[in-house]
Amino acid sequence: MSRNRVLATATAGMLLTGALTACSGSGGDADGPVTIKLLEYQEPRAKVVKALIPEFERAMAKQGRKIKVELVADTLTDEQFHTKITQQLHSGTAPDVLDMGGSNVTGLAGAGYLLKLDDYLDKWDGWGQYYTSAKEAARQPDGGFYSIPHEASLQSLFYRKDVLQRLGVDTSQPRTWDELIGRLKKVKAKTGEAPIVIPAGTAWGGGTWTEGFLPLVAGTGSTFYDAKSKKWTLKSKGLSATFGLYDELIKAGLLPVRDLQNPNPWEPTKYKNFVKGTLPVSAQGSWGWKFDWGPEGAAPIENLREKVATWDYPALVPGTKPYSISGGGYGYSVNAHAKNPDAAVELAKWLSSGTPLAKQLVTVGAVSPRKGLSGTAPYKNEPSLLDAERKLPGSILPPRGDGEDQVSQAVQSATGKMLSGRADGGQAAAAFAKEAKELLGDNRAAE
Amino acid sequence: MTIAKALSGRPIRRRRERGVLPLLLGPSIVLIAVFVIAPAGYGIYLGLTDTQLTGWAARDPQFVGLENFRNLLGSEDFLASLGRTGEFVLWSAIIGQTVLGMVAALLLRTKWLRGKGLFGALVLLPMVVPEVVASLTWASVLSSDGDGTLNRLLGLFGSGAAAPLQDHPMASVVIINVWRGIALAMIMFQAALEDVPDELIESARMDGASALQVFRYITLPLIRGPVFLYLLLTTITTVGVFGLVYFLTQGGPGQETELASIYIFHRAFQYSQIGLGSAASVILLVLLMILGLTYARLAKVEV
Repeated sequence: MSRNRVLATATAGMLLTGALTACSGSGGDADGPVTIKLLEYQEPRAKVVKALIPEFERAMAKQGRKIKVELVADTLTDEQFHTKITQQLHSGTAPDVLDMGGSNVTGLAGAGYLLKLDDYLDKWDGWGQYYTSAKEAARQPDGGFYSIPHEASLQSLFYRKDVLQRLGVDTSQPRTWDELIGRLKKVKAKTGEAPIVIPAGTAWGGGTWTEGFLPLVAGTGSTFYDAKSKKWTLKSKGLSATFGLYDELIKAGLLPVRDLQNPNPWEPTKYKNFVKGTLPVSAQGSWGWKFDWGPEGAAPIENLREKVATWDYPALVPGTKPYSISGGGYGYSVNAHAKNPDAAVELAKWLSSGTPLAKQLVTVGAVSPRKGLSGTAPYKNEPSLLDAERKLPGSILPPRGDGEDQVSQAVQSATGKMLSGRADGGQAAAAFAKEAKELLGDNRAAE
Repeated sequence: MTIAKALSGRPIRRRRERGVLPLLLGPSIVLIAVFVIAPAGYGIYLGLTDTQLTGWAARDPQFVGLENFRNLLGSEDFLASLGRTGEFVLWSAIIGQTVLGMVAALLLRTKWLRGKGLFGALVLLPMVVPEVVASLTWASVLSSDGDGTLNRLLGLFGSGAAAPLQDHPMASVVIINVWRGIALAMIMFQAALEDVPDELIESARMDGASALQVFRYITLPLIRGPVFLYLLLTTITTVGVFGLVYFLTQGGPGQETELASIYIFHRAFQYSQIGLGSAASVILLVLLMILGLTYARLAKVEV
């Protein structure tokens, strides 16, 4: 009997201690420093932000605010990050501030994981300096903002000027895809290797959508996502033309089909063959200037500015003109369940302004999403990025809407079928429409 | 007197047993209910909804009845992933691991083999290595770059670089899974072979039976139960293989090694469609139960 009492007392004691510990954890200390967890999943970003954090803490201390920032640097690929952060947000274990590509935001904001920032942005004078294209790219289907973009990018075709000139191939801006394909065939005849990479298939993951398919279909003029009805059009002239283009490139042996099916398809293509010069054309965002091929990038090319230049995308359907396209960029989002949302937003705003912003842009090779930074070092010393920024206001905005994740998935699967030879352009377009319709449901797919 | 006592004691013992039975079985029933039946039941429920983790639809999951199942059973991709899983199980588990495991066990039983300890250790080693380590080691061995171990070896003979994970992905993952699974088969068959009386084999040999005949007509019938039990276990575990293949190929190139388990991971977690992924898991569970029952019937073993 007495043993039972001892057991009961011990259990009650443990439960009480546990409950008290839990209470003290959730309460927080109003006078003590506020701690914010910031997640970075790419090494260069983590590195530059790590150096900026003490500056932020000092700046806040000057204003009398004790904010401590804990950097969570978790090096992951885009796909791994998306999978992991979704689980973390769903289970309530995600950090407070997340630095991620704009294509992730729609799905996560939709599910209610991210804090709506409209009230904060309305009161922030910095928001007025953002380019309309950057703002519109960040606007979500409900009209609200769930991220502070700190980058913009321009998607275009990067080409090896030195290689094409050596091969005697014209390097002027191609007006149409037919003209460009003619040049690519010449390259192929001389080198025997596939000369252009456009992300496709499942292995490239979200890149197949944002860097491969979307920039092509967005230039065709066909409506892909209708913001008014909030529905995706799954069969159109533009979609057929885009699948047709992939088909033509594959059948002519111009696309490196085998490399695109590699688990890390960017390695043999962008990081190896583009650098060697055997694959001289690559669909690429402006971050290629630093992140991929810059002196401290993944696969540096010496004298990059002399060897590499960019073309706008040629016209794919009759009646359209060559165009460059806004490729979006990374932004800071705040966890909807952050304990200290005000401090978290403060960090996001500070990192998206002035010198801290300029340092980040130069590290990853991004274009400024806001005006007035062209005179701020070290960004002012980057002519390629300043060129891209000048083109930004005239670039096409890609369609973005609820269900983007599902449309992206259907695009990956349909282009994957073409890579493995299981579908031609028409079959891939039909497979895409069927799968996307199943995934989106009737509410989000137009008839 | 003793019999009478025993008879009179039986009902009390039974009553006592009845009282103890729930106590003994209780914890395992609770554990199975909490960790097996409840998640499976929840999985079935999710399979009947359009639950997803991202997008506006995630806020309000709807009951969609059997729509996920209809979509999956009409989906070429899902059916192809089931086909690939069947192929993977057949070649790596049923044929590769079982046959080679049996050969290894028989070799260890022979009297003439020297260095049995070393041989046994070599076969066991792949099982000891964690799945991720095994997978990444093979990824490094088979890397298509010139610095992969295989390509370095080929280079010694003047041969060009090979890319087995891209050119023969299914064959590669089958071989790696066989390599990893032989050990368990060997241990199970070795234990079963211990129970085959030596006299039977010796008398058959004296009657002029060849080694093959002894194996076919004496050894195999006597160890039929353990063999089928192993087949049941290896089928279940091989259908569930995920990490080994995912770390090597991520289901690619294209979808050539997208087994059902990887298909489910892609749909449920990468594309956040928990409802669809759960429905696919339920279909896989039903198929496994049918297979399991078939094995149990064939082997007449109690599982």
